Amino acid sequence: MTIQEMRKTEGLNRQFAETAYEKAQASQKVLNAVVTLIDPKEQLDALEDQPQGLLYGVPVVLKDNVCTQGIRTTASSRILDNYVPIYNAHIVDKLKAAGAVILAKASMDELAMGGTNLTAATGPVHNPYDPSRMAGGSSGGSAALVAAKIVPLAIGSDTGDSVRKPASFCGVVGMKPTYGRISRYGIIPYASSLDHVGYFTRSVEDAAIALEVLAGRDDRDMTSSFRPVPHYREALNKDIRGKKVAVLKNVTDAIDQPETMALFQKVLEDLKKKGAEIVEVTLDEKLLKAMLPTYYLIANCEATANHSNLDGIRFGVQQQGDTAEEIMIHSRTAGFGSLIRKRFVIGSYGLFVENQEKLFRQAQRVRRLIVDEVKRVLDEADVLIAPASRCGAPKLDDVSRDQLTDGYLIAENFMVLGNFTGYPSCTVPMGMVEGMPVGVNLTAKAFDEGNLLNLCLAIEEGTGLKDAGKEMAE
Amino acid sequence: MERKDAAYFKKLAHNLMFDLSEEEAEDIVQEFETLTRQLALLEAIDTTGVEEMIYPFEEETAFLREDEISHVISQKEALVNAPKAKQGHFVVPRVVK
Repeated sequence: MTIQEMRKTEGLNRQFAETAYEKAQASQKVLNAVVTLIDPKEQLDALEDQPQGLLYGVPVVLKDNVCTQGIRTTASSRILDNYVPIYNAHIVDKLKAAGAVILAKASMDELAMGGTNLTAATGPVHNPYDPSRMAGGSSGGSAALVAAKIVPLAIGSDTGDSVRKPASFCGVVGMKPTYGRISRYGIIPYASSLDHVGYFTRSVEDAAIALEVLAGRDDRDMTSSFRPVPHYREALNKDIRGKKVAVLKNVTDAIDQPETMALFQKVLEDLKKKGAEIVEVTLDEKLLKAMLPTYYLIANCEATANHSNLDGIRFGVQQQGDTAEEIMIHSRTAGFGSLIRKRFVIGSYGLFVENQEKLFRQAQRVRRLIVDEVKRVLDEADVLIAPASRCGAPKLDDVSRDQLTDGYLIAENFMVLGNFTGYPSCTVPMGMVEGMPVGVNLTAKAFDEGNLLNLCLAIEEGTGLKDAGKEMAE
Repeated sequence: MERKDAAYFKKLAHNLMFDLSEEEAEDIVQEFETLTRQLALLEAIDTTGVEEMIYPFEEETAFLREDEISHVISQKEALVNAPKAKQGHFVVPRVVK
């Protein structure tokens, strides 16, 4: 059921959350998507006296980097295995005020640094469509639980494409609103200039409802926007006549999968039939090829600094040592996975005084050039569009990609444009390739979520993939 | 960029307060070669006169507020996740023997 369908119920239907809880528990042996389950009984009892909000009685899952007061929050890292926050993230208070029932903390790539969900301390998350394949990352647990029709809404976070790529692999809607639209207070950070809160649903209408609940100014996040929050759901409108849709040709040229391109062409034809104008645009190829190293540097440099507080002394799992320094070294060595430590080394390298100018600062300057290039194109169009992934989810053991091809540098990583610019960006399912879902990604101008959602709605109507998913066998 | 060896990365890691195994350090040496080629794509961009972009938007979101107390946490709460705490302090091994 979608949120919208659940909202048709009069009063509190406890069964939605109770069934979801049981399903989440049962799904563990196949999906391994949950880190911590939360019995909904107390929350449901408390809801009896609460006014009906937009998510009244709706079961929701949170990525495990969202701080929950009194509930373990590990960010899927061993070093935070025993961490129990003393406060809620801003969005947790918002979800609760809207009547949501929080059912589980979902698995993720360790500290959100990855795109596979293979690096979680609790092991890989499996794709509901084929458990031998990955769910994608870093918000893989959240994506899998929505795709398996266990909950209609799950929160994720998106620093590179960590909501929009797993949404493509799991065949659900993955929304990353404008930077500053949703407060990040209480989200364990990765790279502060790129981090966004995002979420998964199985319909565009649900994505509009969720945004209305989650968006809004919060003084505790200094990047939070003062702009008022529109009524996104009421404003939804399938009439897209005259809308200009710009196909990102650099990406489509780099995709070598004819089946993905056939689905994409079908989406474009449908949009055209509905009155949208389709144009092709090409961004400066040299800048696009520099996109991934730019991201890699900025993200790892910021992460290295952000996570220097994880020392096993103030909080987290402590290892033995004869001095404070030894405790820190042993705690951080045992507490971080191999990939994380390697990324911190790269980040630190980029921040060295002798490297900072030619690496980190250069990346920040190239970021501006890339953003200007995207702005130039979006000045003439309503949205940018491209397939969200080259093909369906890879097998769990497939790490063989050549990292210098256009397919990798551009087609598999272009969604980071949404993080560089801070522009709203959304993936919606467009069909199946070799039995696995593949999505299409749209990016709009800053704070133009309304337009973005309307175009996504038109696509959803064309594909007929509203409320698509793959339920687990009983 | 000059080639760095495993010992270089192990030392760098130690300065970041963690250790790398021999295998992990060797992995970084290999990965660094790919990274170096990717970074060449970055260094090839002419950024003369371009200002660094720190955050996506440059509109003002910070503000001056009245100096009023809000969102207070107690000392007990602040220390609740500390592996060892005593009399309001984090406890570490003695520095002076």
